[in-house]
Amino acid sequence: MAQRGIDRVITGCKKGDEACFTQLVDIYGRRCFGYFYRLTGNRDLSEELLSELFVKLVEKISTYRGGSFDGWIFTMASNIFHDHLRFKQRQTRLLDEHSKRIKSKSAGVAGGYDGDADKMQMALAELDSDVRELVMMRYYSQMSFREMAESRREPIGTVLSKVHRGLKRLRELMG
Amino acid sequence: MNNSANENRIPRGVSHSGLRELLAGFMDESAARQTAEDIEKGEEILGAHSAPGPDERVLAEVKKNVVAALRRRRTVVFQRRILTAAVAAAIVVVSGLVLMRYGDPQNSHQIRMVAASIPASVWEGADDADVTVLTAEIENIQSELSGAHSDDGGNGSNDIGDLETELIEVNGDMWKG
Repeated sequence: MAQRGIDRVITGCKKGDEACFTQLVDIYGRRCFGYFYRLTGNRDLSEELLSELFVKLVEKISTYRGGSFDGWIFTMASNIFHDHLRFKQRQTRLLDEHSKRIKSKSAGVAGGYDGDADKMQMALAELDSDVRELVMMRYYSQMSFREMAESRREPIGTVLSKVHRGLKRLRELMG
Repeated sequence: MNNSANENRIPRGVSHSGLRELLAGFMDESAARQTAEDIEKGEEILGAHSAPGPDERVLAEVKKNVVAALRRRRTVVFQRRILTAAVAAAIVVVSGLVLMRYGDPQNSHQIRMVAASIPASVWEGADDADVTVLTAEIENIQSELSGAHSDDGGNGSNDIGDLETELIEVNGDMWKG
């Protein structure tokens, strides 16, 4: 969809138009699901996070003040993912399962695989969590490195270096 | 892997334009070229191994949740507006009742009584000499004022003007301490 069309949808969402919100799900739903899936490796969890993201969007859309909407929505997606991680860490501490998870192959993936993990998912699990998240954010949000640096409040050189390191390692693992 | 296949897999807008120039700010030209190539190839691999998409059922469920959240939000906003309007109406009604009760000139002495009772009760507890002097002055002016009001002579308005000036001076002294 052209940028002007997306702008019109966003304006409609700000006015509380239901049709515009469902259009927004059509535009961003698949990409956001892909982002969550690559970070969690779990389909059910990705569905939950996706739903949570769009419900939160209803509350927060009025705070969007222009600029890259892709950057805005994926920053929110990233916050939801981190909230999930914090919740999961608390839960894990309570259940005292942390050590078991570290030993498992899927330790780097937040949700644990759901059994049909593809080769890419396995390779991603080998990356540092921070690097993996940056690579996924860059890929799915389509943000420029400059926008990513602003969104994450990190120097642009650091973002470039992490993404480069992650993608290079991914090439080696997938090669 | 051909470019047309990649177009379908790599999300629209992943741009590598200006990447080499950006990298050149951090490293020499050949390293920048190599790094840019690593990034481009890595993102091509990501595009070639795209994540599974959500079921249509999931997207439909998300839409349903969004619409429900939107309606809930509308209800909350409506309730908040009603509450605000009710509070505003209550303030207007109470203000109106107060004005009706105390705004009537026949009842205006009651306002003075209420107002006077507050400083009196405060001053009774005070033992500051200045307060005592000022109290005496105000009482003196009050008695002159009531005298001026009852005076039928032509100098009444001038007397009141003098008293007002004096009252303003006393008031000024009081705030200066």
